[in-house]
Amino acid sequence: MKARALVRLWSIFGEPLWVVVNMGFPVLSSLALSLLYYSIGATDYIGFAVLGGVMVSFWGNVLWSMASQFNWDKQEGLFEVYLTSPASLTAILIGMSLGGIIATIPSAVIVTAVGWALFHPVVDASWGGVALTFGLTLASLYAMGMVLSSLYLTYGREAESFNEVLQEPVSMLSGLYFPALGSQSPFPLALQAVASLIPLTIGMDALRRTLFYGSSVVQVLPDLVLLAGMAVVLLSLSTYALKLLERIGRRDGTVAVRIR
Amino acid sequence: MNSLRPLLASAWMGIQHDIAWTSPPLSVALRAVAPFASAMTVSIIYWFGTNNSAAAVFSPAHLAFVLIGSTLYAHVASYAWVPTQAIAEGKNLSVFPHIYLTSRSTAFYVAGRALSAFVISTITSVAALAIAYYVLGSFIGAQIPVVVTLGSSALFAAALIANIPGALGLGYLLGAYSLYASKFEWSLPGYVAGLLMVFSGALFPTTTLPWPLSVGAYYLPFTQFIAAARVALLPGSPGSYLASMALCLLGGGVLFLGGILVYFAAERKARKDGVIDRRLA
Repeated sequence: MKARALVRLWSIFGEPLWVVVNMGFPVLSSLALSLLYYSIGATDYIGFAVLGGVMVSFWGNVLWSMASQFNWDKQEGLFEVYLTSPASLTAILIGMSLGGIIATIPSAVIVTAVGWALFHPVVDASWGGVALTFGLTLASLYAMGMVLSSLYLTYGREAESFNEVLQEPVSMLSGLYFPALGSQSPFPLALQAVASLIPLTIGMDALRRTLFYGSSVVQVLPDLVLLAGMAVVLLSLSTYALKLLERIGRRDGTVAVRIR
Repeated sequence: MNSLRPLLASAWMGIQHDIAWTSPPLSVALRAVAPFASAMTVSIIYWFGTNNSAAAVFSPAHLAFVLIGSTLYAHVASYAWVPTQAIAEGKNLSVFPHIYLTSRSTAFYVAGRALSAFVISTITSVAALAIAYYVLGSFIGAQIPVVVTLGSSALFAAALIANIPGALGLGYLLGAYSLYASKFEWSLPGYVAGLLMVFSGALFPTTTLPWPLSVGAYYLPFTQFIAAARVALLPGSPGSYLASMALCLLGGGVLFLGGILVYFAAERKARKDGVIDRRLA
């Protein structure tokens, strides 16, 4: 776990230009959506766009550096090394997650700094609640990335197309830039229920409440319990799926096929 | 004719690459998902902001402004990036050496791939716009004043075509970079989409930006393309269709000329330096 986390950290911080590369879309999209809020006179909500930019950095990292990673590793011939090593695939994925989170922090910090410097969004935060919610949101989000990563093992190059299909709809449904749950949501109740199955939706809702409306840990406790539960379930699911798919792959001889 | 054949062959290859990895109708449908969701996100932000802020006023015409702009910036971003992808992926999968060994410049291959992506992206963007129009209408109960007639569709189609030189010029500039790069080119779509979101007047008028950025953004061919498309589909939009088209073609022509010159120079130098088939930096 530690070894895989270090590889990820070294790959990012050993080439500082990667930090600049990774922050491109989060910074610019957050800036554009902040300007949209600003241009229509809804300046009270610019903070939502900044927070969305922070979280889209992590969502992008989950999709492109977690979910697709095993697929790319297969193409590069690295996956065979994982399989022959004594480490479990789950431990490797957890290490990848930890490294990914730390490696994405600079991008998130830059989005926050740019948003703060340009727009001074109004914040009424319960910082303990924000920290706890943020941690649990990332835990459940990266656990979801681990599930996707195991599922993508069965696919070839289709994985990238699936990522592209997932990225924007999940950003929309989870309400990265606007409330997706509750009375302010534009979505009908049935769609809100579906959106609630995505950890990011619950996390964004709780983050907005703790960061902009001063909600305490107690007030967002149901969200926190849900996020913790999702993290545990998704982690177990990914472990099960990895073992199953590895077994099937070994049996059929497809587990290390590079390009399909 | 000699130039048309490699162009068409590359375009056909692009179609195969982009949509034939699964059943073509399914592939096209999947490709419409991202622009649809992106247009919905931005439109909902507008709806949410205007409905929950005392200083903001909801206007269906403004919602249409945002909806059209958000669909079209995604359209430009998706095909302007294709030259970079074609080169980067081609190097990675060892397809590109087969292209540069042919008697033609790789510029034909790049143009063909961009044109096929334009066709696919046009279909998916129009589908995304149409679906978002109906879904938004049902979610927020607003009548969005987009007018689709034979005349407005023709003007819209002309605007889409007028934007090709500019997008191709941008594609050549990015492609010239990826002839040399083998690592960071994968991040370019994010930058292209992000910059277009900010500077193309897609989500808000360019006058929102501080001077001189507002002036620079106004004269971008992509800004003028989106403005012309809005005038075509949204009656009462500010500006003149003909003026926007003229500026789009002029700016696009300059960008195309600059882009292709840079690409030819980069290609020549990449062959000379022996990096044209370099898979990894």
